[in-house]
This record gives sequence, structure tokens and C-alpha cells, in this order.
Amino acid sequence: MKALLLLAPIVLLLVVFLTLPLVAIFLKVPQVGIWETLRQPLVTEALRLSAITSLSSLCLAVLFGTPVAYLLARYRFRGAALLDTLIDLPMVLPPTVAGVALLMAFGRRGVLGHWLNMFGLQVGFTTVAVILAQTFVSMPFYIRAARAGFQSVDQELERVAYTLGRSPLGTFFRVTVPLALPALLGGAVMAWARALGEFGATIMFAGNLIGRTQTMPLAIYIAMESDLTAALVLSAILIIVSFSVLFFVRSLLRRSPFGTYA
Amino acid sequence: MLEVAVQKRLDDFRLDVAFTAEDGLTVLFGPSGSGKSLTLQAIAGIIRPESGRIVIDGQALYDSARRLHLSPQARHIGYVPQHYALFPHLTAQENISFGLARLPRREQERRTKELITLFGLQSLTHRRPRELSGGQQQRVALARALAMQPRLLLLDEPFAALDALLRAALRRELAQAQVRWGITTLLVTHDLADAFALSQQVVVYDNGQVIQCGTRDEVFFHPATHRVAELIGTVNILPAMVEGAENGTLWLRWRGHSLAVEPKPLARGSLVYLCIRPTQIQVVPRDRMTERPRQNLLSASITGEMMQAESYTLLLRLDGSEAPYDLEMTLPAYVYHRLSLETEKQVTVELRRQSLHVIPRETPSPYFERARGKGQKGDG
Repeated sequence: MKALLLLAPIVLLLVVFLTLPLVAIFLKVPQVGIWETLRQPLVTEALRLSAITSLSSLCLAVLFGTPVAYLLARYRFRGAALLDTLIDLPMVLPPTVAGVALLMAFGRRGVLGHWLNMFGLQVGFTTVAVILAQTFVSMPFYIRAARAGFQSVDQELERVAYTLGRSPLGTFFRVTVPLALPALLGGAVMAWARALGEFGATIMFAGNLIGRTQTMPLAIYIAMESDLTAALVLSAILIIVSFSVLFFVRSLLRRSPFGTYA
Repeated sequence: MLEVAVQKRLDDFRLDVAFTAEDGLTVLFGPSGSGKSLTLQAIAGIIRPESGRIVIDGQALYDSARRLHLSPQARHIGYVPQHYALFPHLTAQENISFGLARLPRREQERRTKELITLFGLQSLTHRRPRELSGGQQQRVALARALAMQPRLLLLDEPFAALDALLRAALRRELAQAQVRWGITTLLVTHDLADAFALSQQVVVYDNGQVIQCGTRDEVFFHPATHRVAELIGTVNILPAMVEGAENGTLWLRWRGHSLAVEPKPLARGSLVYLCIRPTQIQVVPRDRMTERPRQNLLSASITGEMMQAESYTLLLRLDGSEAPYDLEMTLPAYVYHRLSLETEKQVTVELRRQSLHVIPRETPSPYFERARGKGQKGDG
């Protein structure tokens, strides 16, 4: 009881520290003119672009990340530890470094971009660059969650499905995916949220062009200098989205629909 | 008929087995970790052996010489692993019809319904596995495996998760199902009672090898080696020596007594193990000693007793013996009471020669040393 009394102020302080800035944004958003702000090209374009790019990068992460996650969950092979580390790397890498790295690879004079350029393909400073940057930083979130999800599925179930005549692919979609679904969805949502908030890598690699590469975080950065209301409205939207996403993932992971099985 | 010859190394465990299973129910019996489950997995096709051959009714499923390894999908073998591995996200009905995906919808529904009725699962069709009891789960798992009409059924410790009462009931049910479906079945168990109650044939496993294979009576009443005798729960394994043979009788010497057994081509002086089941040792009351010719009579005192539900197990020490006890016998409770037996009492027992099984002992086995170490069955 005494310990609790001692801890209470610390907890309170922390809660205030975490919530005050968030609440402050909502307090500072002006009551009037929200709709006008939302209709500005700066805002609409940023919303549209963020929706398109973050969903595209999510699709890429799921498409390429799922097989890799399954491989890492099911097989032990040489270089697995290395691959694992490599996949996690973007999570700890400063986003600006990721941006520079992407530029050096896919930019006009980059290692690969140089060749692409000769065929008239340009990646840097296009919407494609935004998607690449977002995929690069968000993929690890999905792969990690998916791998853990696949690992939690008892392999015996897959083996039994084989003996019952189901192909490996059929088994994957009928047994493995449904059982790993909470983890897969959780990972996808986390990856999507990370892509939505991506700033550093995007601004380094894709630039800041309205309608082409200026996503919501970039628009907020620009708006801070010219139109504080727009910045606040966009920030409020991102806060609401982030909170809902976290809440959704938590409730998803808390109650797996099938429980444990004997 | 199923012919299995499989070699497989796993870390520092080596599986090297060969046996033939006739139609009917064959039990793979042996201690945990002796390679029984691994054998089932090799037959089901979910692991690939290093070498060997698996042939079912003349068709090879696996043949290392021909580099043949059919996929589990192509084998048509019903496999029920330990703990059943029911799909937790599917209902009982969906589990049962899981293996029927390739059939027309009509046929799927017909067969699923048939199995649900057969296993008495009508009221449970929409339940998920975790909402089913252990026995119900087992029925669903069996129905799921049988739905695709496999040519072989593999059951890995099907009763392991059940309590004793349910075990007995489901044992009976399984035996009935096996007979009704007439499907060749391989059942893995480390439980002696399961093996005894269900098997038509027994394959005895020990440490990655088959140490005996035969009909139930062959294995349980005529164990080939000391180790088999030990594994099948033979409590009286008596080290003895051949004294000689005459007129169709082989004479053995054990603990200073001469015992007559059925003839066997064994030289005088060779060492053997003498096995007798506890239920086959008979107490001879004094007044009935001469009612027919008696053989192999031993006088002993009762040094301990254990009561079971319907029977008593007595520990006997031969007169003049130093051991805590020399023989273990089990007799029905009513006989125990009629003869008013109790600890410390003196009895005469008969070891009838038909009940005595002799295991030749070529080289002194390590198990013999172990038995001696226990100080219960020292050499005569």
C-alpha cells in the first residue's frame, strides 16, 4: 500500500506527459473553419497520397513478407539468423539513413537507379519512391508479427492436413493462415501505421512535391510554416488513426478466436 | 498387409526397424522414445527415412532403392496423431469433411453425415474442438481419418489424454470400429493394458529397434528375450540352469530346486530365464495335495501382500531363501479368503509345466546383471 502511494505520483506524471501533447493538439484545433481547411489542396492531396501509398506499401509488405515469414518460422537453414537480422534492421535504422541508402540504390545516380535511368525509368522523387521508402521501413513490423503467428501454429495440424489429401498451398490457406490470422492482421495494421507516419526516408528519397510525394507527415511539416490550422487538423487525424490502430491490435491479440487446443 | 523396413537417424537416436503387419490390428508397443511414433510418421509420409522400404498390399509407398517417396497426399493413409490435432478453427463437422475436398459436394455431405451418425456426434456437429470432451475429440479425429476411406489407419497413443474409466470404454469402442470397418490398423502405445486388450499382433520396440514381433499370445506368453519379458510386464523372470533332459522333460535348477518344463533343445549346463505369469502360480491346499499328480511344488512363506479390486498379489519367499521375495503371484480375492491366506503364512505352490516359459540365455545380458543388482532374483 505504501509502495502504491509512492508510485502514484510517478504514474500520474507519466500519464500527463504522454497525454498532454496529444490533448493539446485537439485543444488548439480551431472550432471554426475545419471544413475549409480539410478542403485545401495541401490537405486533400496529402490525405489522398497517404492513403494510396500506405495501402500500396502494405500490399507489398504482405505479398513479399508472408512467404519470407513462413520460411523463417518453419525452416532452419544456413543464413537464417543473418536474414532475420537483415529484416529487422530497418526498424532500428534512423529513417534518414534509410532514405539516403534508398537514394544511393535507386536514385538517378544510384547503383540500380543508374541502370533504370538508361531505360528511361526514374524512381527517385516519384510516388513510387514514396511507396518504396514506406515498404522499406514498415516491412519488418509485418514480418516479425507474421513469423510469430506462423510459429504458433502447431505443425502437426499441417501434417495431418497433408495426410488428408490437402496440398501444401491448400493447407496454408485452409489451416495455417486462419490460425495465424490474428497475428497477421496485427502485423499488417502495425506496418500500415508505420508506413502512414513515415517521414524521414520519404523526404530524403522522394522529396516533397504536392500530389506526388507529399504525404501527411510531410504536409504537416510544410504547413507548420504557413498554415498552422492545416498542420493541426492533419496531426489530429493521424493521432486518431494511430490510437484506433493500437486499440484494434490490442483487442485482436488479446482474444484469439480459437483459444488453445488440446 | 503392410511391410515396413525403415532406417532413420535423428540427432543421436537411430531408428532401424523391420516388421510385417497382417490385416487387422497391430500394436506397436514399447517404452516412450523407442521410435514408435517416428515409424508411424514415416509410414504416413510426413518424414522421409534415410533408407528402407514401405509396401502396402504390394504397392510401394517408399523405396530408397528406387528413390520412391510418395507424398502424404498420395498415400491415402488415415493418421491420428497424439492429442488428435483437430483443426481448432473448424467445427466437428468441418473437421470430419476436411479430407473430402476433392469429392462432389453431394458425396461429401453423404459421407460426413454417415460418419457423424456412426460415431454418435449428431448433437455436436457445430462445436469447435475445444468445446468437446477428450472422448468426443477422439471420435471426431477417428471420423476425420476414416472419412476418406484410407487403406491403413495409424493411431498414435489414442488414449493418452484420457482418464482410466474413459480409456476402457474407448478401447472397446475402437476395437469395435476396427472390426466394423475391417481396416488394417497400426496403434502405438506404451500402455501394457492397451496393448493386451486391443492387439491381434504385437511389434515390440526398444531403443529404435524391433525386439520381437508376433501374435499377441506369442509375444505375451512366449517373450523371446529377457528384455521383451521385462517390457511386457513379466514380473517373474527367474535365472536358472539346465540340469538335463529325460523322457520329454527338460529339468531346470533354480534356487536349489529342480523344475520340470516342456522340452527344448538346450544343452546341460546352459543358462536360461524361466518366466511365469503371476496369475499362473497356484496355491495347493494341504488336503488336495494328492488329488492328481503334482509337479514343481515349492514351499514358501508369504512375505507381503497387495490388495487390488478383485484380486490379491502375494510376494513369496522360498524356504531357505535369503531374498526379500522370490516369486510374485496373483490370485482371485475369493480364493485368498477361502484359503485364509495372510502374510507370514506358509504355503505350497505349484508351477505347472505348461505355464513355464523358457528363454535361452546365450550371453549374460546386462539386464540380468541389473536384476541381480536389485537383489530380488539372484542366480540359483
